[in-house]
Order: sequence, then C-alpha cells, then structure tokens
Amino acid sequence: MLESNVKIVNQLGLHARAAAQLVKLSIKFSSSVKIHRTDSNIEADAKSILSILTLAASRGTTIKITINGSDEEQALEEIEQLFINGFGEL
Amino acid sequence: MSEIKKIGCVIVSHGQVANELLSAAENVVGDLGHITAVSIGWHDEVESAKEQISRAIVQVSEGRGVLLLTDMFGGTPTNISAMFYEQGEVEIVTGVNLPMVIKVANQNTEIPLTQMADEVENQGKEAIYQAGDLLIPKKMIKDA
Repeated sequence: MLESNVKIVNQLGLHARAAAQLVKLSIKFSSSVKIHRTDSNIEADAKSILSILTLAASRGTTIKITINGSDEEQALEEIEQLFINGFGEL
Repeated sequence: MSEIKKIGCVIVSHGQVANELLSAAENVVGDLGHITAVSIGWHDEVESAKEQISRAIVQVSEGRGVLLLTDMFGGTPTNISAMFYEQGEVEIVTGVNLPMVIKVANQNTEIPLTQMADEVENQGKEAIYQAGDLLIPKKMIKDA
C-alpha cells in the first residue's frame, strides 16, 4: 500500500471535469485508488466521479491518496502528477 | 480494459431539458453513444412522442436493456415513457438530474438493468445537498 499527500492547485478545485480526468486515469490501473481530505474522514473512490465530487475539495485542500495493488507504484506516480499539474488547468 | 456492452439510456423531458442534461454530461465525461435525449414539445401529440421514444430505445439498445430517465413523476414525458415499461428490459426512473446521467455514463462493470435502476435512483437522491450545511461548520449540539 502506498500513500501520498497532494494539494489541489487549480482554481476550480476538484470539480466535475477534473474528477472525470482523475477517474479516467485511475481506472487504467488494477489497484484500488482511494482519496480523502486530510481535514476530514470522508473517503472517496477515485474511480467514481460522483464519489470524488462528494469531497467538495476546493483549491488549497490537501488530499491523501491511498493506492493498493500490483501496479500501485506506477499509479501513484501518474496520479500525483495529475494533481501537481492541476488537472491540466494551470 | 476491454469494451463492455452497456445499458442504454434515454433521457425524456419537457422542452430542451433532456438535450441540455446530455450535453452537460458529455462535457464532463466525453461522448456518450449509449445515451440519447428525447425532448417532448409542449404541443406534441402523444403518438408522435411515443414514436420518438420508441426510436430512441432502439438506437441506444446494446442488448442489456434500456433505462429511461424522465424529468418529473406524473408529467407527460414520464407517463408516455411508462408505456414502455418491461421489467428487466426497460426501466424508468423519474426526477433526472446530472449526477444520475453521469452515473449511467460510467459503466465499468456489467450489472443487471434492475440493479442499475436502483443505483441510479439512489445516486439521484444522495447527490442533493444544501450547500450551506457543508460550508458552515456544524453547530454545536446543545440539547442532545
């Protein structure tokens, strides 16, 4: 299991289109990908847009990514990069 | 991931609501070939509306059943859609909202139509919040 904290940097936060991008990337991997706000216990499945949106994560929110499975290393690297790049919206 | 056969979906509404919901969902998740929209005009005859829905069902069907999402229980689009009800083949869920369309858009596993209808119904209900409840810190509960 791998964990990492990332910050939401794009202006619109983890909104619908950003969530769709995260899902598109996460479903490529067989590992489970969970995310949750570090300031609450609500967990979301990064393979479901609607689950991600329930986090209501705006810019500046810190998100903990938890990945578990055989391709977890590759998954973490690419997903971290997506957050750092602000879902391509910077 | 190999392509799975999807449950088809027709959004049926008064006016242009159905088209716009579909267009909004496509903006979020990309093209949705298994979902189409039927807008019932204010002055359409029942027979022509029925014909439109019938054609839409055939268009989106991939053999796993079709879900009709209608705008309002009791309204004409729902009442006409209800004529197509066939358990396990054509199911109808009313009160369509964008999260429900997105739920149908993303199908990663093959689940039966009746289960999909249940999940979409629940999704639609769960996706409704008073944003203020989330934005303002929870008040202290004094009288427990």
